[in-house]
Order: sequence, then structure tokens, then C-alpha cells
Amino acid sequence: MNTLYYQSDDIIYALATPFQPSALAIIRVSGSGCKKRLSTGFTRADALISSPSHTLVYGKLFDIDTKEHIDEVVLSVFDEKRGYTGEESVEITCHGSLYGIETIFSLLKKLGMRSAQPGEFTFRAFRNGKVDLTQAEAVMEIVHSHSSRGHSLALHRLEGDLYRQMETLKGQVLDAMSSIEVQLDYAEDDFSDEILFPYDLIEKTLESVDSLIETYSVGRMYKDGAKIVIAGSTNAGKSTLFNLLMKSERSIVSDIHGTTRDFIEGEGVIGSVPVVLYDTAGLRSSSDLIEAEGIRRSRNLMMSAHVIILLVDADDDLSQLQEHKELLEDPRCIVVYNKCDIAQKAVSPDVISISAKKGEGFARLERAVIEKIKKDMSADRGDSLIIESARQRDELVRARTALSNSIRMAQEEIPLDLIAVEVQEALDALGTLTGEVTSADILENIFSGFCVGK
Amino acid sequence: MDYDAIVIGAGHAGIEASLALARLGKKTLMITQNLDAIGRLSCNPAVGGLAKGNIVREIDALGGEMAHLIDHTMIQYRVLNKRRGPAVQAPRAQADKFSYHRLAKETLENQQNLYIFQDTVVDIVIDAKSSSITAVKTERGHEISAPVVVLTTGTFMEGKIFIGDYMAVSGRLGEPAAIGLGTALRKKGFSVDRLKTGTPARVRGSSIDFSKMELQMGDENMLPFSFDYDQINRPSLPCYIAFTNENTHRIITDNIHRSPLYSGQIVGKGPRYCPSIEDKVVRFPDRERHQIFVEPEGIGTQEYYLNGLSSSLPEDVQRDYIHSIPGLEEAQIMRPAYAVEYDYLDPTDLFPSLESKIVSNLFIAGQTNGTSGYEEAGCQGLIAGINAARKLENEKPLILDRTEAYTGVLIDDLVTKGTKEPYRMFTSRAEYRLNLRHDSADQRLTPYAYSIGLQSQKAMDRLSRKVEQIDMVKTLLDTRKIGKKPISALLKQADTTLDTVADEVPELKSFDKSVLYQVELDIKYSGYIQRQERQVQRHLKMEKIVIPSDFDYDALDGLSSEAVEKFKAIRPKSLGQAGRISGVRNSDMAVLMVVLSKSDKVNNGSKKADTDN
Repeated sequence: MNTLYYQSDDIIYALATPFQPSALAIIRVSGSGCKKRLSTGFTRADALISSPSHTLVYGKLFDIDTKEHIDEVVLSVFDEKRGYTGEESVEITCHGSLYGIETIFSLLKKLGMRSAQPGEFTFRAFRNGKVDLTQAEAVMEIVHSHSSRGHSLALHRLEGDLYRQMETLKGQVLDAMSSIEVQLDYAEDDFSDEILFPYDLIEKTLESVDSLIETYSVGRMYKDGAKIVIAGSTNAGKSTLFNLLMKSERSIVSDIHGTTRDFIEGEGVIGSVPVVLYDTAGLRSSSDLIEAEGIRRSRNLMMSAHVIILLVDADDDLSQLQEHKELLEDPRCIVVYNKCDIAQKAVSPDVISISAKKGEGFARLERAVIEKIKKDMSADRGDSLIIESARQRDELVRARTALSNSIRMAQEEIPLDLIAVEVQEALDALGTLTGEVTSADILENIFSGFCVGK
Repeated sequence: MDYDAIVIGAGHAGIEASLALARLGKKTLMITQNLDAIGRLSCNPAVGGLAKGNIVREIDALGGEMAHLIDHTMIQYRVLNKRRGPAVQAPRAQADKFSYHRLAKETLENQQNLYIFQDTVVDIVIDAKSSSITAVKTERGHEISAPVVVLTTGTFMEGKIFIGDYMAVSGRLGEPAAIGLGTALRKKGFSVDRLKTGTPARVRGSSIDFSKMELQMGDENMLPFSFDYDQINRPSLPCYIAFTNENTHRIITDNIHRSPLYSGQIVGKGPRYCPSIEDKVVRFPDRERHQIFVEPEGIGTQEYYLNGLSSSLPEDVQRDYIHSIPGLEEAQIMRPAYAVEYDYLDPTDLFPSLESKIVSNLFIAGQTNGTSGYEEAGCQGLIAGINAARKLENEKPLILDRTEAYTGVLIDDLVTKGTKEPYRMFTSRAEYRLNLRHDSADQRLTPYAYSIGLQSQKAMDRLSRKVEQIDMVKTLLDTRKIGKKPISALLKQADTTLDTVADEVPELKSFDKSVLYQVELDIKYSGYIQRQERQVQRHLKMEKIVIPSDFDYDALDGLSSEAVEKFKAIRPKSLGQAGRISGVRNSDMAVLMVVLSKSDKVNNGSKKADTDN
């Protein structure tokens, strides 16, 4: 983060809703004295200044130079310590035309405010003790999250489920640490109980940490989108399907790369899941060197895909299925028969048939894709606890490494004081996520759990 | 001024403080209530133990006396935790109580510049203008002046002992408390609270049936605590292990209501790490037995210490439960177990130099600061004595970091976090304990003592020889190979030791055992020591971000009000210390960090400008 900016107490503003045309938009303003500052460009200045926290003030914003009205707005007022940042703040609910939003921005600039740095609102909330680190990260992800489902996952974390899960794990490691430390802090004869190394506890924790790490790819998928690759023989109609999928929802097609690449890529939303769609080069062995390179890249892409749609020309199914035999075995693969409108053969009800040209069979394909994504992500986990930030993943991996080291060392009969270093490392890693464990906490745990002392 | 310095108290803190001051050339007066109680081992007849043994060796490296005293008076020596790892191993010795006291007194008496006087300090005199101490007032009406004073009252300040419903105003059984000083300090604005501790009964050896107990011998090889000695020659006496049983526990449970702890007479908080027998029985009702260590109190005495049976139950109950223990059926109780409750001063009112924030030039050490244990008291006394002397010279105080000594950990914990129960050192309190092994205390600390003037050139020469030898052995092991691998690489394997390779490197025989021991550990632990070294560097980086003593926390936006209050009370010296204060949140640290790094840049900028000019 840019601490140079972060140190200041400037009044900052930022658009809280996506920068895209919509009925309404919200602009957030935060900083001591922002009510007064804003009132100079607001028709009901007194009403704004005297309004108590958590009230709405209706009025019009006007250009302070030309006195021209800019927009009809509703201001949500928050006093110091009450709002999201913990500072005095105002949320401007305005009309959502891009031009309107830009005009309000220039007004705010004229009033001496500045546009917030990425994450600066959250930093202020963090600085004012309004959110802890886990929450701060979740908020950042709400901002960046592409879809409504991603949004609710982030909300889930704010409510502290992940926090609680990690607290539980930390508690287990703390118990393990205590049963090691009690042997280090009390001599053999002061503490004669043979505990040695708490294998069960550590192994149990290791398992939970492992499965939490597993969820990381899922979290990523919601943030970055599920990778869907359309594969199939040339002329199976892949590009048509690609175009249709991109259009089928009100998707944001941010980037469609040119045909100089070997595949075409686009972002969209299927169901509620953000997806990145790839239209690959036709898969067939080729003697043409350039085309062979394209095919090699397509195969790489498929390796990392969450879902592969194998598009088969209904007229030529046998030979094409033969050609992609290995894909048929892949659990990520959905076989889709195209051109079912012109196909002569009856298509089996087990496979999905569509007409890419006419747009038939689409709803079914979407459902199938969502099913596949969900299957891929849930992997038998009933809950939706998911880690989403690389930092959380890294700390959990650090904990995992340390815990498995400790088990290995115990098996090698390495002295406890060295094993303790590893368990401490795991405790630190989990502590970084939910709050530090001090040596006083460990001693506290020892005194309450063990009969020690002569 | 009558003296350069006054030390109040002649316990383990007072001894170190007085000797340090006198040895640094200060005309020092030690005032004690009872000359015959100098250096008394009030509780267990032993010195050292886990973490504590390391502290004794730190005291020695810093030019203190405790290691010498125990080396000359030990009657059993053991290295504890041999199986649990070198970083947590430590020496412990049983002491001959009488000889220990006598040698302490003799050492003080032989010390140049040191004056010893029996009286009781009841008040201190403060210069209102400078709010610094100028003199002490005694019970017999003396007013003695000195520019610095070290306060080490132990359990004597408003001390009360309890045995059942018996209560006496004493610091130890049969010894009157120091009355008035605690009250006087309260009036002067010191934050005073109560703590409690306890000691078990002493029984007569000739009435014990040792044949019913397990024998516990010391190590054959007795080693000195002090780095000044290569070897010692002392007798080794056995200790014994006995066990309580269901009958013992029943007697205690039936009479628990007669304990002053349960009736609420004692308000001070006791040490949870060293609970009384009634505590253990109540808290762990499922345990069938508890261990009791029967330890000799000395060579010329029949008194045995029943380690593990500290108690405040009435004497008839004590007699019954002691008699229920196999081997102690006929035991004659010579002194009963008792609890003692006493005043301690909130150590967060101290700077890391151990000087009071409330009254300047007053240094406070030992149990008065809420600690427990001879070793914990001794190291504080030494640091307080050193810093009192340095204050007289206008020198910067000696403040040891957490990374370099248990002493540093202890004082930092006390002044940063305070304590609500008697504070005892544990290895787990030290984040970097791999670096704080007892065998390396001289490398860590002797150079400090030398530069201060508490260690001789001789000690420094010996240290340099040791370091040289260590380097020589390391080079030898790096270059000598077995097969294709250097021996130093082989040593990293769990099953290879210097003993197993001794035949390949006959030269090793010419080196000291302590040198070989250290090299072996250094090599075996090198991966972890390096890893810890990185953490140490991170820690030191935070310690180096200094917070100016006049820093205005109120003017800082974004700090929680709780943090502002804590920061103003503790006045942390560094960002690192600020972060260790309990109740300080990450967000507070973020703010502080941002502001300090900003002002740091400004300062550096101006400094640079200065040199440019």
C-alpha cells in the first residue's frame, strides 16, 4: 500500500458501486470535517451539518463556481467512530450515469477532497480499529470480487466463520505447544507425566489445515473466474459457441484477444460464477509447424482448466470422439453435440446437444457447466468456508510445513526443544491470521491444564 | 551525602546490587534488618534449574556473585532436561543453606567500599523539586543520605505469614516484617499490591525412613556454575522421592476449609506454577499421587525440606498429612509450612534500567518487583546496582535485549507487562532461547561487564581463549573428513556425536570439554540457530526504532484511547517494546509505525543536511 498517502488525514472519496451505467450509484466520502466541506456545495447546508449520525439528508449538489445544480442526491451521514472507516463520513447516493458521477467527482475535487488510494478506506477502518486484518482483506476482496457469489463468500468471512475455524486450529496447536513446553519448562522430576510428542493433536490439525488450503483454488476461482476451455475438432463450431456464451449473459467482455494468438479468451458470467472462456485451436495432429505449436498451447490450457467443453459435430461424432479419447475420461469434460439441428442422427439423451447457430440447448449446457464447477470446488466439503487471499494461503502453508516437520522430527527422536521451534512456527503462522499467541498464553494454558510444580 | 549509594536489603538482589556498586568504586551502605539472615535461602535449598541455571551463569558472566556462592556450597549437582534438548538444559545444585549464607556474609564483609549496617528502613526522603531520592529513614531514627538508593525488600515489606488461622507480621517465620515502608511508599504515589507465596515444612532427617523412598543421586560429574572455575570439588548428597496417596488427599480435602487461602484471609495472588499441595489436590482430584522431594538443607543439619508440600493449612493438619506419606510416618516437624503475603511495587513503574519512573535515582530489584526465586532476584539486583553506579557517572544504563539474556527477557517482561502473580522465569518466555544456552552466557555478556568495569582483563583473556578454541575445533571439524564428508557435516546427523568420531580426530582430546560441548551443539543446531538469527534480526530492527521519551501520544490521531493510556504509562523506549505491551492493537502499531518512520526520515534528513554543511 502507498503509505505516503495513507499517513494523511485528507478527506477522501471513492465510488463504492461499479463504474458502469446504472440507476443509482454511491460515492463514499470520509475524513474529519467532511460534512462541513460537502455542505458548501449542497443546497441544504444547515440540514447536512446539523444532521445526527445514521440519518439521511435529501438535497441537491451544485457547482460552487457556476451555482448550477449537478444532481439530486441523498446523503447518508455517519459521525466519527460510527461509520465504516471510524471517521466522520458521508455516503452520496446519486444517479448512476457515468457523466453524472464524473461531475460529482470534479465537485469533490473542487471542495479540496482527493480520490482515495486503493484500499485506503479499509486502511482507515483498520487504523481506527473498526476491522481486523482478516476483515480488512475480505473487504478488499468484495471490492475486487467479480460476481454476486464471490460477494457473498467475502461477506461470509466478515461474519467471522473463517476466523472461528482458524481460531479452533490455533487452539489445537496451542494445546500441542503447551504439552511440549510443559516438558521443557519443568524438569523431568518436576513433571513426570510422559507426554512426549502430541502426535494425535498435530495430525488432526494438519488434516484441517490441509483441507483449508485445498479451498484456496476455489476461492481464487470466484475471484478470478473459473477457466472454461472449449475444445474440439476444427469446424465443430467452437467459435460460434464461444461467441454465444459470451453474449448469453450480461457479461463484461473485457478483453478478447486477436486471432494472432492461438486461442481467444473472454470474461463472462455463467450462473453466478465469473468465468474466463477460452476458444482453442482445433485439436488434431498436424504437420504444419505453426499449427502444431497452437495445439500444444491448447493442451497446456486444458491442463489448468476447471471445465472442458468438448464440442463434437453431431454428424461426425464417431471419428471425432475417437480423436479426443483421452478427454472423454477426464472428469472435467462435458461432451456437447453441436449442429443437432442439421444432424441426421438421433442424439443420446445423456449428452448435451445444442445448436450453436440457433442457440438451442443453451440452458442445459449452462446448468451442466455450473454443476461441473461446483463439483470441482466443493470436493465433498459441506460448508462454504473458503480462503481467498494469497496471504492466508501462504500462512496456512507455513503452518502445514512446520507441523509436518514437527511430526517427522519427533519420529526421528530429535530433542523436543528443536521440535518446539517448528510448532512455534505453526502457532505464529496461525496467529498472524487471527491474532498473536504470546508466551504468556502458553504458560496460562500450561498452568490450567497440567499439574506442575513441586 | 553520607554514602554514594544505599542498598536496602541483603537478600539475593541486595547482595548483587551492593557488590556491584562497591566493586565499581562506589562507597556503598547495605542496610539489613538482620545480619544473620544475609543471603538466606528462605525456601528451597537449591540454586539453578531450568532457565534459572542460565540466569545464574549470566549473573556470573556479568561479574555477579551468585555462581561463586553456590559453587562453594553445593552438596549435589545435576544437569536437568538432558533428554529434552540442549537449549532447555540447565544446571541445578542443592545448597548447604548455612554455608551459603555464611559465605555471602563473608564476601560482603571482605568487599572494599562496602559498609554493612543492621537497621530497618521505614521511609525514603525525596527532594520535592527534582523528585529524586536523597536519603532513607530507619526505624531507630537514623536519616542516612545518598544520591542513589537500591530497594530490595523481598517478602519483608508489610509481610504477613499464615499457618491455618495463625497469622504473624513477619517476612519469614520468626523474623519481623518491615513495617511502615510499604505504607510510606503508597503515600508517595507508588502503586503497591499484594502477592503470596509459600514454603513447605522442614522435618528431622533422623525421623525419616529413607528406605521407603526412592533415591535421587546427583550427577557424578559436578561442574561449576561460574566461568571462573574449571572444576569444583564438593561432596554429593542424595535427595529422596516420596509420594502422597489417597489418604493424604483425603486429609487435605477434609480440612480445606481451614486454609486461610480458602477462607479469604489471604488476598495476594500466589504462583500458579508452584501451587501448594492443597491447590494440587483440589485442582487435580483425579490424581492418585503427587511427588514429594525430600532434600537436605545442609551438611551440618538434620533439617530436610519437603519439596512439593508447600501449604498454609494448620499445623495439626500438616502433621496428619505428612505422617500419611510412606517414609514420613514418624517425621518430626521442625518448622511448619506457611504462606507469606507481602507488598510488591508495580514494575511497570520502572524504566528498563530498573530506575523508578516515580522517584528518580531510586532503583528497585528482586521480589519487590513481583518476581519469585533467588536467581530472578539476583540478576535484577546486579542490573540495578550496575545502573545505579552508572547513573552516578552519568553513563547510559545497561539494558540487555531479549535476544541476549534471560535477564533481558525478565526485565523487559516486568517493565513492559507488569505481573499479577509472582513472576518466575521459564524458557518459554524467551523467544530466542536457542541463543540463550547456559554454556554461552560468557560469550554473550562478559564483554559488557568488562567495558563497565565489573570483569577483569583475566576474565576477558579466558573468554578470548575459549572463543579461539571454539573456532579452532570448528575449523578442524570442517576440514577433517571421514569418507568424503567433513566431520562437521556428519555431526548434523542425529546419531553422530563428537564421542563417536573421537578416534578420527585425536587432537580433540587437547581441548576443554566445555569447548567441545559448545561446538557440538553449535553444529548440530546450526540450521535452527540460523533460522532464529533471522527472527533476531527482525526483532532488533523493531527495537532500533526509538520512541523519543517526550513523544506526545495524545497528539496522534488514530491511536485507541486504551493504547494512548498504556503508552503514556509504560513509556516504551522502542517500537518493539511498544508492541509487547498488552492491549495494544495492530492498528495502534500501524499508526505508530507510520508516524515514527516518518519522523525518522525527517531526522535522518536533517542529520544529512548537517553533515553537508
